[in-house]
Amino acid sequence: MNRLLDTGLERLTAMLLQMGKVAEEAVRISIESFMTGVDVYERVEQLSDTLVRMNVDVEDKAFELIAKYQPVASDLRIIKSYIKISNDLERYGRYAWDISFIHKRLANFEKCEDPLAIIEEMGEKVISMVQVSIEALKTHNSELARKLIETENEVDALYFRHLDHSTEMPMSSRCLITNTLVVRYLERIADHATYIGESIIYIATGEKVVLR
Amino acid sequence: MPVKIETKDLTVSFGDVDAIKNVSMEIFTNRVTAIIGPSGCGKSTLIKSFNRMNDLVSNVKITGQVLLDGENIYGTNYDVVTLRKKVGMIFQKPNPFPKSIYDNVAYGPRIHGIHKKEILDKIVEENLKKAALWHEVSDRLNSSAMDLSGGQQQRLCIARALAVEPEVILMDEPCSALDPIATAKIEGLIRTLSRDYTIVVVTHNMQQAARVSDYTAFLYLGKLIEYGLTKDVFENPQNDLTEKYLTGKFG
Ligand SMILES: Nc1ncnc2c1ncn2[C@@H]1O[C@H](COP(=O)(O)OP(=O)(O)OP(=O)(O)O)[C@@H](O)[C@H]1O
Ligand SMILES: [Mg+2]
Repeated sequence: MNRLLDTGLERLTAMLLQMGKVAEEAVRISIESFMTGVDVYERVEQLSDTLVRMNVDVEDKAFELIAKYQPVASDLRIIKSYIKISNDLERYGRYAWDISFIHKRLANFEKCEDPLAIIEEMGEKVISMVQVSIEALKTHNSELARKLIETENEVDALYFRHLDHSTEMPMSSRCLITNTLVVRYLERIADHATYIGESIIYIATGEKVVLR
Repeated sequence: MPVKIETKDLTVSFGDVDAIKNVSMEIFTNRVTAIIGPSGCGKSTLIKSFNRMNDLVSNVKITGQVLLDGENIYGTNYDVVTLRKKVGMIFQKPNPFPKSIYDNVAYGPRIHGIHKKEILDKIVEENLKKAALWHEVSDRLNSSAMDLSGGQQQRLCIARALAVEPEVILMDEPCSALDPIATAKIEGLIRTLSRDYTIVVVTHNMQQAARVSDYTAFLYLGKLIEYGLTKDVFENPQNDLTEKYLTGKFG
Protein backbone atom coordinates (compact mmCIF):
# COMPACT_ATOMS: atom_id res chain seq x y z
CA MET A 1 0.00 0.00 0.00
CA ASN A 2 1.39 3.38 -0.93
CA ARG A 3 0.86 6.09 1.64
CA LEU A 4 0.98 9.79 0.79
CA LEU A 5 3.97 10.05 3.12
CA ASP A 6 5.89 7.46 1.06
CA THR A 7 6.22 9.76 -1.93
CA GLY A 8 7.71 12.43 0.31
CA LEU A 9 10.05 9.97 2.02
CA GLU A 10 11.29 8.68 -1.33
CA ARG A 11 12.00 12.23 -2.43
CA LEU A 12 13.82 12.99 0.82
CA THR A 13 15.92 9.83 0.49
CA ALA A 14 16.85 10.70 -3.08
CA MET A 15 17.97 14.17 -1.99
CA LEU A 16 20.11 12.74 0.78
CA LEU A 17 21.76 10.14 -1.46
CA GLN A 18 22.53 12.84 -3.99
CA MET A 19 24.18 14.81 -1.17
CA GLY A 20 26.12 11.66 -0.32
CA LYS A 21 27.55 11.53 -3.86
CA VAL A 22 28.57 15.16 -3.81
CA ALA A 23 30.09 14.90 -0.32
CA GLU A 24 32.02 11.76 -1.19
CA GLU A 25 33.54 13.46 -4.22
CA ALA A 26 34.48 16.55 -2.22
CA VAL A 27 36.23 14.54 0.49
CA ARG A 28 37.96 12.20 -1.93
CA ILE A 29 39.39 14.79 -4.30
CA SER A 30 40.45 17.16 -1.54
CA ILE A 31 42.46 14.43 0.18
CA GLU A 32 43.86 12.88 -3.00
CA SER A 33 44.84 16.24 -4.39
CA PHE A 34 46.51 17.22 -1.16
CA MET A 35 48.66 14.12 -1.51
CA THR A 36 49.54 14.75 -5.14
CA GLY A 37 49.93 18.50 -4.76
CA VAL A 38 47.15 19.47 -7.16
CA ASP A 39 45.04 22.54 -6.43
CA VAL A 40 41.33 21.60 -6.45
CA TYR A 41 40.21 24.49 -4.31
CA GLU A 42 37.63 25.84 -6.76
CA ARG A 43 36.04 22.50 -7.53
CA VAL A 44 35.76 21.62 -3.85
CA GLU A 45 34.35 25.03 -3.06
CA GLN A 46 31.64 24.43 -5.66
CA LEU A 47 30.81 21.05 -4.18
CA SER A 48 30.76 22.44 -0.66
CA ASP A 49 28.42 25.29 -1.67
CA THR A 50 26.13 22.76 -3.33
CA LEU A 51 26.00 20.76 -0.09
CA VAL A 52 25.11 23.88 1.91
CA ARG A 53 22.16 24.52 -0.39
CA MET A 54 21.06 20.89 -0.42
CA ASN A 55 21.18 20.76 3.37
CA VAL A 56 18.67 23.62 3.50
CA ASP A 57 16.46 21.83 0.97
CA VAL A 58 16.52 18.60 2.97
CA GLU A 59 15.62 20.43 6.14
CA ASP A 60 12.72 22.21 4.41
CA LYS A 61 11.43 18.98 2.95
CA ALA A 62 11.76 17.13 6.26
CA PHE A 63 9.82 19.78 8.17
CA GLU A 64 7.18 19.87 5.45
CA LEU A 65 6.64 16.11 5.89
CA ILE A 66 6.47 16.45 9.67
CA ALA A 67 3.92 19.27 9.42
CA LYS A 68 1.79 17.50 6.83
CA TYR A 69 1.80 13.92 8.01
CA GLN A 70 2.81 13.96 11.68
CA PRO A 71 4.92 10.83 11.22
CA VAL A 72 5.57 8.40 14.08
CA ALA A 73 7.63 5.28 14.77
CA SER A 74 10.13 4.37 12.02
CA ASP A 75 8.86 7.19 9.79
CA LEU A 76 9.66 9.71 12.50
CA ARG A 77 13.04 8.17 13.23
CA ILE A 78 13.97 8.32 9.55
CA ILE A 79 13.00 11.96 9.13
CA LYS A 80 14.62 13.04 12.38
CA SER A 81 17.82 11.21 11.44
CA TYR A 82 17.89 12.48 7.87
CA ILE A 83 17.96 16.05 9.15
CA LYS A 84 21.03 15.18 11.22
CA ILE A 85 22.69 13.15 8.47
CA SER A 86 22.15 15.93 5.97
CA ASN A 87 24.02 18.20 8.35
CA ASP A 88 26.86 15.66 8.65
CA LEU A 89 27.12 15.45 4.87
CA GLU A 90 27.30 19.22 4.71
CA ARG A 91 30.16 19.10 7.22
CA TYR A 92 32.00 16.57 5.03
CA GLY A 93 31.92 19.20 2.32
CA ARG A 94 33.03 21.98 4.62
CA TYR A 95 36.06 20.07 5.94
CA ALA A 96 36.97 19.01 2.41
CA TRP A 97 36.88 22.68 1.54
CA ASP A 98 39.11 23.46 4.53
CA ILE A 99 41.66 20.90 3.37
CA SER A 100 41.78 22.26 -0.15
CA PHE A 101 42.01 25.79 1.21
CA ILE A 102 44.94 24.94 3.46
CA HIS A 103 46.59 23.22 0.53
CA LYS A 104 46.21 26.28 -1.65
CA ARG A 105 47.16 28.74 1.05
CA LEU A 106 49.93 27.07 3.05
CA ALA A 107 51.26 23.86 1.62
CA ASN A 108 54.88 23.86 0.49
CA PHE A 109 56.10 20.32 0.43
CA GLU A 110 59.63 20.79 -0.86
CA LYS A 111 60.61 22.07 2.55
CA CYS A 112 58.77 19.47 4.60
CA GLU A 113 60.40 16.26 5.77
CA ASP A 114 58.26 13.16 5.55
CA PRO A 115 55.12 15.17 6.10
CA LEU A 116 52.66 13.03 4.26
CA ALA A 117 52.86 9.51 5.60
CA ILE A 118 50.39 10.05 8.40
CA ILE A 119 48.05 12.11 6.27
CA GLU A 120 48.10 9.47 3.58
CA GLU A 121 47.19 6.78 6.06
CA MET A 122 44.50 8.87 7.73
CA GLY A 123 43.21 10.11 4.38
CA GLU A 124 42.65 6.58 3.09
CA LYS A 125 40.81 5.59 6.20
CA VAL A 126 38.68 8.71 6.18
CA ILE A 127 37.70 8.26 2.53
CA SER A 128 36.69 4.70 3.31
CA MET A 129 34.66 5.83 6.33
CA VAL A 130 32.82 8.37 4.23
CA GLN A 131 32.06 5.69 1.65
CA VAL A 132 30.92 3.22 4.30
CA SER A 133 28.67 5.81 5.95
CA ILE A 134 26.97 6.55 2.64
CA GLU A 135 26.66 2.87 1.77
CA ALA A 136 25.08 2.15 5.16
CA LEU A 137 22.70 5.04 4.61
CA LYS A 138 21.48 3.59 1.30
CA THR A 139 20.20 0.42 2.92
CA HIS A 140 19.82 1.53 6.56
CA ASN A 141 22.41 -1.11 7.35
CA SER A 142 23.14 -0.91 11.07
CA GLU A 143 25.72 -3.74 10.94
CA LEU A 144 27.78 -1.80 8.44
CA ALA A 145 27.28 1.38 10.47
CA ARG A 146 28.71 -0.30 13.55
CA LYS A 147 31.90 -1.14 11.61
CA LEU A 148 32.69 2.57 11.43
CA ILE A 149 33.78 2.51 15.05
CA GLU A 150 36.93 0.44 14.26
CA THR A 151 38.20 2.84 11.64
CA GLU A 152 37.17 5.77 13.80
CA ASN A 153 39.42 4.46 16.58
CA GLU A 154 42.32 4.02 14.14
CA VAL A 155 41.87 7.56 12.84
CA ASP A 156 41.80 8.90 16.38
CA ALA A 157 44.97 6.99 17.23
CA LEU A 158 46.74 8.49 14.21
CA TYR A 159 45.47 11.93 15.16
CA PHE A 160 46.89 11.71 18.65
CA ARG A 161 50.11 10.20 17.36
CA HIS A 162 50.52 13.20 15.11
CA LEU A 163 49.87 15.60 17.96
CA ASP A 164 52.42 13.84 20.15
CA HIS A 165 55.07 13.66 17.47
CA SER A 166 54.55 17.12 16.11
CA THR A 167 55.80 18.72 19.30
CA GLU A 168 59.17 17.06 18.67
CA MET A 169 59.29 17.33 14.87
CA PRO A 170 62.22 19.34 13.55
CA MET A 171 60.33 20.92 10.71
CA SER A 172 59.34 24.42 9.84
CA SER A 173 56.26 25.78 11.50
CA ARG A 174 54.63 26.12 8.10
CA CYS A 175 54.70 22.38 7.50
CA LEU A 176 53.66 21.74 11.05
CA ILE A 177 50.65 24.02 10.89
CA THR A 178 49.59 22.69 7.49
CA ASN A 179 49.74 19.10 8.57
CA THR A 180 48.19 19.68 11.94
CA LEU A 181 45.24 21.45 10.43
CA VAL A 182 44.70 18.80 7.78
CA VAL A 183 44.99 16.03 10.33
CA ARG A 184 42.45 17.83 12.47
CA TYR A 185 39.99 18.17 9.55
CA LEU A 186 40.40 14.51 8.74
CA GLU A 187 39.66 13.65 12.33
CA ARG A 188 36.50 15.77 12.18
CA ILE A 189 35.33 14.10 8.95
CA ALA A 190 35.80 10.72 10.63
CA ASP A 191 33.69 11.93 13.56
CA HIS A 192 30.86 12.94 11.25
CA ALA A 193 31.04 9.56 9.52
CA THR A 194 30.56 8.05 12.97
CA TYR A 195 27.62 10.36 13.69
CA ILE A 196 26.00 9.13 10.48
CA GLY A 197 26.62 5.58 11.68
CA GLU A 198 24.84 6.39 14.94
CA SER A 199 21.88 7.85 13.07
CA ILE A 200 21.58 4.76 10.90
CA ILE A 201 21.58 2.47 13.93
CA TYR A 202 18.84 4.67 15.41
CA ILE A 203 16.75 4.42 12.24
CA ALA A 204 17.15 0.67 12.01
CA THR A 205 16.80 -0.28 15.67
CA GLY A 206 15.56 2.74 17.61
CA GLU A 207 18.66 2.40 19.77
CA LYS A 208 20.42 5.66 20.65
CA VAL A 209 24.08 4.69 20.62
CA VAL A 210 27.25 6.71 20.94
CA LEU A 211 29.92 5.07 18.80
CA ARG A 212 32.73 7.17 20.21
CA MET B 1 4.21 4.21 40.28
CA PRO B 2 0.86 3.73 42.10
CA VAL B 3 -1.55 1.45 40.25
CA LYS B 4 -5.24 2.41 40.10
CA ILE B 5 -6.64 -0.40 37.98
CA GLU B 6 -5.11 -3.77 37.27
CA THR B 7 -6.49 -6.43 34.97
CA LYS B 8 -5.33 -9.99 35.49
CA ASP B 9 -5.73 -12.40 32.62
CA LEU B 10 -8.97 -10.70 31.65
CA THR B 11 -11.04 -12.39 28.95
CA VAL B 12 -14.40 -11.03 27.80
CA SER B 13 -16.50 -13.04 25.38
CA PHE B 14 -19.82 -12.36 23.70
CA GLY B 15 -21.24 -15.77 22.79
CA ASP B 16 -18.28 -17.47 21.11
CA VAL B 17 -16.52 -14.21 20.16
CA ASP B 18 -13.58 -13.41 22.44
CA ALA B 19 -13.55 -9.62 22.38
CA ILE B 20 -10.74 -9.37 24.96
CA LYS B 21 -8.20 -12.16 25.31
CA ASN B 22 -6.08 -12.69 28.43
CA VAL B 23 -5.27 -9.05 28.96
CA SER B 24 -3.08 -8.24 31.97
CA MET B 25 -2.19 -4.60 32.44
CA GLU B 26 -1.81 -1.89 35.03
CA ILE B 27 -3.39 1.56 34.73
CA PHE B 28 -1.43 4.11 36.72
CA THR B 29 -2.90 6.62 39.16
CA ASN B 30 -3.34 10.19 37.91
CA ARG B 31 -1.96 9.35 34.50
CA VAL B 32 -3.67 9.40 31.13
CA THR B 33 -3.70 6.03 29.40
CA ALA B 34 -4.70 5.85 25.74
CA ILE B 35 -6.10 2.70 24.20
CA ILE B 36 -5.63 2.45 20.46
CA GLY B 37 -6.19 -0.19 17.82
CA PRO B 38 -8.23 -0.91 14.72
CA SER B 39 -12.03 -1.00 14.75
CA GLY B 40 -13.39 -4.07 16.49
CA CYS B 41 -10.15 -4.88 18.34
CA GLY B 42 -11.89 -4.62 21.71
CA LYS B 43 -11.12 -1.10 22.93
CA SER B 44 -14.67 -0.33 24.04
CA THR B 45 -15.04 -3.77 25.56
CA LEU B 46 -11.85 -3.32 27.58
CA ILE B 47 -12.72 0.14 28.85
CA LYS B 48 -16.26 -0.97 29.73
CA SER B 49 -14.86 -3.84 31.76
CA PHE B 50 -13.33 -1.22 34.07
CA ASN B 51 -16.76 -0.23 35.39
CA ARG B 52 -18.69 -3.40 34.62
CA MET B 53 -20.66 -1.91 31.77
CA ASN B 54 -20.34 -5.20 29.85
CA ASP B 55 -22.45 -6.91 32.50
CA LEU B 56 -25.52 -5.44 30.84
CA VAL B 57 -25.02 -7.60 27.71
CA SER B 58 -26.97 -10.85 27.93
CA ASN B 59 -24.51 -13.37 26.46
CA VAL B 60 -21.34 -11.94 28.00
CA LYS B 61 -18.80 -14.11 29.81
CA ILE B 62 -16.01 -12.54 31.81
CA THR B 63 -13.04 -14.42 33.28
CA GLY B 64 -9.96 -13.12 35.06
CA GLN B 65 -9.94 -10.10 37.33
CA VAL B 66 -10.17 -6.34 37.30
CA LEU B 67 -8.74 -4.80 40.46
CA LEU B 68 -9.63 -1.25 41.42
CA ASP B 69 -7.36 -0.05 44.22
CA GLY B 70 -6.46 -3.71 44.68
CA GLU B 71 -10.03 -5.00 45.01
CA ASN B 72 -11.61 -7.27 42.41
CA ILE B 73 -14.63 -5.40 41.04
CA TYR B 74 -16.06 -8.68 39.77
CA GLY B 75 -15.85 -10.18 43.26
CA THR B 76 -19.17 -11.29 44.72
CA ASN B 77 -19.14 -8.72 47.51
CA TYR B 78 -18.17 -5.77 45.39
CA ASP B 79 -20.72 -2.95 45.46
CA VAL B 80 -21.52 -1.85 41.91
CA VAL B 81 -23.00 1.46 43.09
CA THR B 82 -19.68 2.43 44.69
CA LEU B 83 -17.91 1.27 41.54
CA ARG B 84 -19.97 3.48 39.25
CA LYS B 85 -19.42 6.42 41.58
CA LYS B 86 -15.67 5.88 41.59
CA VAL B 87 -15.42 5.25 37.85
CA GLY B 88 -17.19 7.70 35.56
CA MET B 89 -17.65 7.32 31.83
CA ILE B 90 -17.82 9.71 28.87
CA PHE B 91 -19.10 8.45 25.53
CA GLN B 92 -18.42 9.17 21.91
CA LYS B 93 -21.66 11.05 21.36
CA PRO B 94 -22.35 13.68 24.00
CA ASN B 95 -25.40 12.43 25.88
CA PRO B 96 -26.68 15.16 28.19
CA PHE B 97 -30.08 14.59 29.78
CA PRO B 98 -32.90 16.64 28.20
CA LYS B 99 -32.86 18.90 31.23
CA SER B 100 -31.29 22.22 32.16
CA ILE B 101 -27.55 22.66 32.31
CA TYR B 102 -27.83 22.99 36.08
CA ASP B 103 -29.90 19.84 36.50
CA ASN B 104 -27.47 17.82 34.41
CA VAL B 105 -24.60 18.59 36.77
CA ALA B 106 -26.75 18.35 39.90
CA TYR B 107 -28.19 15.00 38.82
CA GLY B 108 -25.57 12.72 40.38
CA PRO B 109 -25.21 14.62 43.66
CA ARG B 110 -29.02 14.62 44.07
CA ILE B 111 -29.11 10.84 43.58
CA HIS B 112 -26.47 10.61 46.27
CA GLY B 113 -28.76 12.53 48.61
CA ILE B 114 -27.60 16.14 48.33
CA HIS B 115 -30.57 18.52 48.11
CA LYS B 116 -29.51 21.77 49.79
CA LYS B 117 -29.57 24.51 47.19
CA GLU B 118 -26.42 26.31 48.39
CA ILE B 119 -24.44 23.09 48.28
CA LEU B 120 -25.76 22.10 44.86
CA ASP B 121 -25.07 25.61 43.54
CA LYS B 122 -21.50 25.26 44.66
CA ILE B 123 -21.11 21.78 43.18
CA VAL B 124 -22.55 22.92 39.86
CA GLU B 125 -20.27 25.94 39.62
CA GLU B 126 -17.17 24.05 40.73
CA ASN B 127 -17.61 21.23 38.25
CA LEU B 128 -18.57 23.44 35.34
CA LYS B 129 -15.35 25.30 36.08
CA LYS B 130 -13.34 22.06 36.20
CA ALA B 131 -14.83 21.12 32.84
CA ALA B 132 -13.85 24.54 31.45
CA LEU B 133 -17.47 25.35 30.62
CA TRP B 134 -18.47 27.77 33.39
CA HIS B 135 -17.59 30.97 31.55
CA GLU B 136 -19.66 29.96 28.54
CA VAL B 137 -22.82 29.01 30.45
CA SER B 138 -22.83 30.80 33.82
CA ASP B 139 -25.55 33.22 32.66
CA ARG B 140 -27.91 30.54 31.40
CA LEU B 141 -27.72 27.62 33.80
CA ASN B 142 -31.44 27.04 33.55
CA SER B 143 -31.63 26.77 29.78
CA SER B 144 -31.74 23.36 28.15
CA ALA B 145 -28.54 21.37 27.79
CA MET B 146 -29.78 20.34 24.36
CA ASP B 147 -29.23 23.89 23.07
CA LEU B 148 -25.48 23.72 23.67
CA SER B 149 -23.05 22.98 20.86
CA GLY B 150 -21.65 19.45 20.59
CA GLY B 151 -18.36 20.45 22.18
CA GLN B 152 -20.16 22.23 25.02
CA GLN B 153 -22.44 19.24 25.53
CA GLN B 154 -19.39 16.98 25.82
CA ARG B 155 -17.84 19.26 28.44
CA LEU B 156 -21.19 19.30 30.25
CA CYS B 157 -21.11 15.50 30.31
CA ILE B 158 -17.62 15.73 31.79
CA ALA B 159 -18.89 18.19 34.44
CA ARG B 160 -21.76 15.81 35.17
CA ALA B 161 -19.33 12.93 35.59
CA LEU B 162 -17.04 14.99 37.81
CA ALA B 163 -19.90 16.09 40.07
CA VAL B 164 -20.11 12.67 41.73
CA GLU B 165 -16.41 12.91 42.63
CA PRO B 166 -15.07 9.95 40.68
CA GLU B 167 -11.47 8.80 40.87
CA VAL B 168 -11.29 7.34 37.39
CA ILE B 169 -12.74 8.78 34.18
CA LEU B 170 -13.18 6.49 31.19
CA MET B 171 -13.62 8.14 27.82
CA ASP B 172 -14.60 6.23 24.69
CA GLU B 173 -13.68 8.33 21.65
CA PRO B 174 -14.73 11.54 23.42
CA CYS B 175 -13.84 13.81 20.50
CA SER B 176 -14.87 11.85 17.45
CA ALA B 177 -18.11 13.81 17.04
CA LEU B 178 -16.43 17.17 17.64
CA ASP B 179 -14.77 19.79 15.42
CA PRO B 180 -11.04 20.57 15.80
CA ILE B 181 -11.57 23.51 18.18
CA ALA B 182 -13.91 21.63 20.49
CA THR B 183 -11.48 18.70 20.26
CA ALA B 184 -8.55 20.87 21.33
CA LYS B 185 -10.55 22.04 24.35
CA ILE B 186 -11.34 18.49 25.44
CA GLU B 187 -7.72 17.49 24.94
CA GLY B 188 -6.56 20.39 27.11
CA LEU B 189 -9.14 19.40 29.68
CA ILE B 190 -7.91 15.80 29.74
CA ARG B 191 -4.40 17.01 30.54
CA THR B 192 -5.62 19.35 33.29
CA LEU B 193 -7.88 16.73 34.85
CA SER B 194 -5.09 14.16 34.93
CA ARG B 195 -3.62 16.02 37.92
CA ASP B 196 -6.54 14.80 40.05
CA TYR B 197 -8.01 11.85 38.16
CA THR B 198 -6.91 8.65 36.52
CA ILE B 199 -8.04 8.85 32.91
CA VAL B 200 -8.39 6.13 30.30
CA VAL B 201 -9.20 7.31 26.82
CA VAL B 202 -10.02 5.27 23.74
CA THR B 203 -9.20 7.06 20.52
CA HIS B 204 -8.88 6.37 16.82
CA ASN B 205 -6.79 9.47 16.43
CA MET B 206 -3.10 8.54 16.75
CA GLN B 207 -1.98 12.12 17.14
CA GLN B 208 -4.54 12.64 19.85
CA ALA B 209 -3.21 9.63 21.75
CA ALA B 210 0.29 11.04 21.36
CA ARG B 211 -0.80 14.48 22.57
CA VAL B 212 -2.89 13.62 25.60
CA SER B 213 -1.60 10.37 27.04
CA ASP B 214 1.28 9.33 29.26
CA TYR B 215 0.87 5.63 28.46
CA THR B 216 -0.43 3.93 25.34
CA ALA B 217 -1.85 0.46 24.94
CA PHE B 218 -2.20 -1.08 21.50
CA LEU B 219 -4.88 -3.74 21.14
CA TYR B 220 -5.26 -6.06 18.18
CA LEU B 221 -7.87 -8.80 17.83
CA GLY B 222 -8.59 -8.59 21.56
CA LYS B 223 -4.97 -8.99 22.60
CA LEU B 224 -2.75 -6.44 24.28
CA ILE B 225 0.08 -6.25 21.77
CA GLU B 226 2.10 -3.43 23.23
CA TYR B 227 1.84 -1.20 26.28
CA GLY B 228 4.27 1.40 27.52
CA LEU B 229 5.13 5.06 27.81
CA THR B 230 3.47 6.92 24.95
CA LYS B 231 6.77 8.52 24.07
CA ASP B 232 8.42 5.12 23.61
CA VAL B 233 5.50 3.47 21.83
CA PHE B 234 5.31 6.28 19.29
CA GLU B 235 9.03 6.68 18.75
CA ASN B 236 10.22 3.13 18.84
CA PRO B 237 7.46 0.51 19.00
CA GLN B 238 8.80 -2.90 19.97
CA ASN B 239 6.20 -4.94 18.12
CA ASP B 240 5.98 -5.05 14.36
CA LEU B 241 2.16 -4.91 14.46
CA THR B 242 2.29 -1.69 16.47
CA GLU B 243 4.77 -0.22 14.01
CA LYS B 244 2.50 -1.11 11.10
CA TYR B 245 -0.61 0.24 12.77
CA LEU B 246 0.98 3.53 13.82
CA THR B 247 2.53 4.22 10.44
CA GLY B 248 -0.64 3.30 8.54
CA LYS B 249 0.91 0.28 6.81
CA PHE B 250 -1.82 -2.00 8.14
CA GLY B 251 -3.66 -4.55 6.00
N1 LIG C 1 -22.74 -6.56 22.76
C1 LIG C 1 -22.03 -7.31 21.93
N2 LIG C 1 -22.48 -8.46 21.47
C2 LIG C 1 -21.75 -9.24 20.64
N3 LIG C 1 -20.53 -8.92 20.22
C3 LIG C 1 -20.00 -7.77 20.63
C4 LIG C 1 -20.71 -6.89 21.51
N4 LIG C 1 -19.92 -5.82 21.75
C5 LIG C 1 -18.80 -6.01 21.07
N5 LIG C 1 -18.82 -7.17 20.39
C6 LIG C 1 -17.75 -7.71 19.55
O1 LIG C 1 -16.53 -7.65 20.28
C7 LIG C 1 -15.47 -7.22 19.46
C8 LIG C 1 -14.85 -5.96 20.03
O2 LIG C 1 -15.78 -4.89 19.96
P1 LIG C 1 -15.51 -3.46 20.56
O3 LIG C 1 -16.75 -2.67 20.45
O4 LIG C 1 -14.89 -3.59 21.90
O5 LIG C 1 -14.39 -2.93 19.54
P2 LIG C 1 -13.73 -1.47 19.42
O6 LIG C 1 -12.26 -1.68 19.41
O7 LIG C 1 -14.29 -0.56 20.45
O8 LIG C 1 -14.18 -1.00 17.97
P3 LIG C 1 -14.51 0.48 17.41
O9 LIG C 1 -13.18 1.11 17.22
O10 LIG C 1 -15.18 0.22 16.11
O11 LIG C 1 -15.36 1.17 18.41
C9 LIG C 1 -16.05 -7.07 18.07
O12 LIG C 1 -15.81 -8.24 17.36
C10 LIG C 1 -17.52 -6.87 18.32
O13 LIG C 1 -18.28 -7.32 17.23
MG1 LIG D 1 -15.50 1.21 20.34
